[in-house]
Amino acid sequence: MRYEVTLDDRRVRVELGDHGRFTVDDRAVAASVRETVRGRQWSITLAGESHEITVVTHDPLRLDVDGNDVRATVIDERALRANRGAAGTRTGRIELRAPMPGLLKAVHVKEGDHVVADAPLATLEAMKMENELLAPSAGRIAKVRATAGAKVEAGAVLIVIASE
Amino acid sequence: MRAADAAYAIGPAAPRESYLNAARIIEVARRSGATAIHPGYGFLSENADFAQAVAEAGLVFVGPPAAVQRLLGEKTAARRLARVAEVPVAEGTEPLTDVAAARVAAANIGYPVLLKPAGGGGGKGMRMVRKEDELETAWRAATGEATTAFGQPALYIERAIWNARHIEMQILADNTGNVVWLGERDCSVQRRHQKLIEETPGPSVGDGLRQELGAAAVRIARAAKYENAGTVEFLVGGDRHFYFLEVNTRLQVEHPITEMVTGLDLVALQLRIAGGEPLPFAQADVVRSGAAIECRITAEDPRAGFLPASGVIALVREPAGPGVRVDSALYAGMTVPTEYDPLLAKVIAYGRDRIEAIARMRRALEEMRVSGVPTSLAFHRSALFHQDFVTGPTSLAFHRSALFHQDFVTGRYDTGFIEHWDARIAPELSAGATSAAALAAVLATRARGERHTLPPADAPWARAAREDALR
Repeated sequence: MRYEVTLDDRRVRVELGDHGRFTVDDRAVAASVRETVRGRQWSITLAGESHEITVVTHDPLRLDVDGNDVRATVIDERALRANRGAAGTRTGRIELRAPMPGLLKAVHVKEGDHVVADAPLATLEAMKMENELLAPSAGRIAKVRATAGAKVEAGAVLIVIASE
Repeated sequence: MRAADAAYAIGPAAPRESYLNAARIIEVARRSGATAIHPGYGFLSENADFAQAVAEAGLVFVGPPAAVQRLLGEKTAARRLARVAEVPVAEGTEPLTDVAAARVAAANIGYPVLLKPAGGGGGKGMRMVRKEDELETAWRAATGEATTAFGQPALYIERAIWNARHIEMQILADNTGNVVWLGERDCSVQRRHQKLIEETPGPSVGDGLRQELGAAAVRIARAAKYENAGTVEFLVGGDRHFYFLEVNTRLQVEHPITEMVTGLDLVALQLRIAGGEPLPFAQADVVRSGAAIECRITAEDPRAGFLPASGVIALVREPAGPGVRVDSALYAGMTVPTEYDPLLAKVIAYGRDRIEAIARMRRALEEMRVSGVPTSLAFHRSALFHQDFVTGPTSLAFHRSALFHQDFVTGRYDTGFIEHWDARIAPELSAGATSAAALAAVLATRARGERHTLPPADAPWARAAREDALR
């Protein structure tokens, strides 16, 4: 199976073959791989050098690579093909999602409002702090999916903006 | 709870029903047979009504008495007290009635200004307002936060000091009138007015300024008839002028760095003072040696504007070794709650001098691993690692000053540190680390996929269908 991996702004192609063989950017790599914590941490020795990689979060994928914080994505070849077909169909709609679970203290906009980028859209109280959620880009408020006073989960879509 | 001899439930997770429920806490203390309550450094620790209720229940409150808390807890009253004690304060107002009054006051003082809650300190509900059209949003947010944190919405305005360092002075006072100062802490590295790195001695504080700040803190403590441990906070401007900010009438989160350089156990001293004992030493007996740094590891993502995160801790590895202390409540399986502060652990490093403390802190941060939530570790590492300082601090200072306006390692920083810190700087990985990371990324994704019931091939289509249905 082939994968396209991004590590921050670097792209790397990885292919997993049979019997634990694999290639990185089409070059066969000799590595010894040890899973030190199941599904969470690997010790990987390459060319006599040992590296420790810890999964900080799975979704989105965030890695600790020898003490460095790295944002990663992994797409397999099937998903790559599927994504190419779907690309471009969802442009123009930007979702404001709750970055963390909390209490929605206020919604400052209503459907049909025009907002500029960074305009305060809602106030979310979490961890004893009030966080102003700002418009990720300019546009018209297409949908308000949450009401003030509601408890919201992380990732919940609160407001949809149609870009103009 | 793992370290406790005995533990008693005080109610559900919501703070109002547990940690802010004074009656419940006192009732539990009585039932447990305790004779004193130490309020820690959050929630009711600076609540005068709580201190009074504890005393009226016949228990000892470990901290200053209610009258002192009341006097210093109202922040504009504390500013008046500082003026009487001949300690400089920044230009500011009394509590304001509404946003219109705030607009007038801010125009008089001149932007930028700080909106601050009169009911309590610690940075909660505090907002920097750079220009007039930011005032209304800031007022709304600060009022709400002040109400949540201190139970009262009152706000006042203070002039913002540029290029300022946040320097605080630790004091101890017994109930026979002895007051001593133990030394300063530089707490300038803050985000949203919450501290992320603290150190002592302050790299910008010379002996002269230290003596002045110590004397000013003692004058304020005497004027307030202070008792127990406390912290007097100052802003020190680029011109070395200092201004009184507030008194924290409790133990501070960052107290361990003072313990490291003085060899004193502040909590033990708090208990002795609360028990009526006089201070066992005088000002001349206080000896500071070496340097100490604290990094507050929080459940916040430094690469997403320090947004708080919640989740379940999957893996923890805490650092150890000479000069390294970790005060933490972390364990694998722990749920990071959304109800409280995002503080996960305090990593403290001590050295004979600042260079050794930094070297030990670097090692500690490299050793530490937390999996399950994004943490501030990435920020702390980059702040302490920016540059190889093996070549020595002098040449380092030279190189750094040319490249960066703000830098922790050289000690050139003020309260604008995090604004200058560039979260976009991606770490440079070696070719080997890149290959290993790419492979681990694939293995992690596959390991996760195997635990899901949906076959991975269906997932994009299922997602697309759901999105269509929502449209």
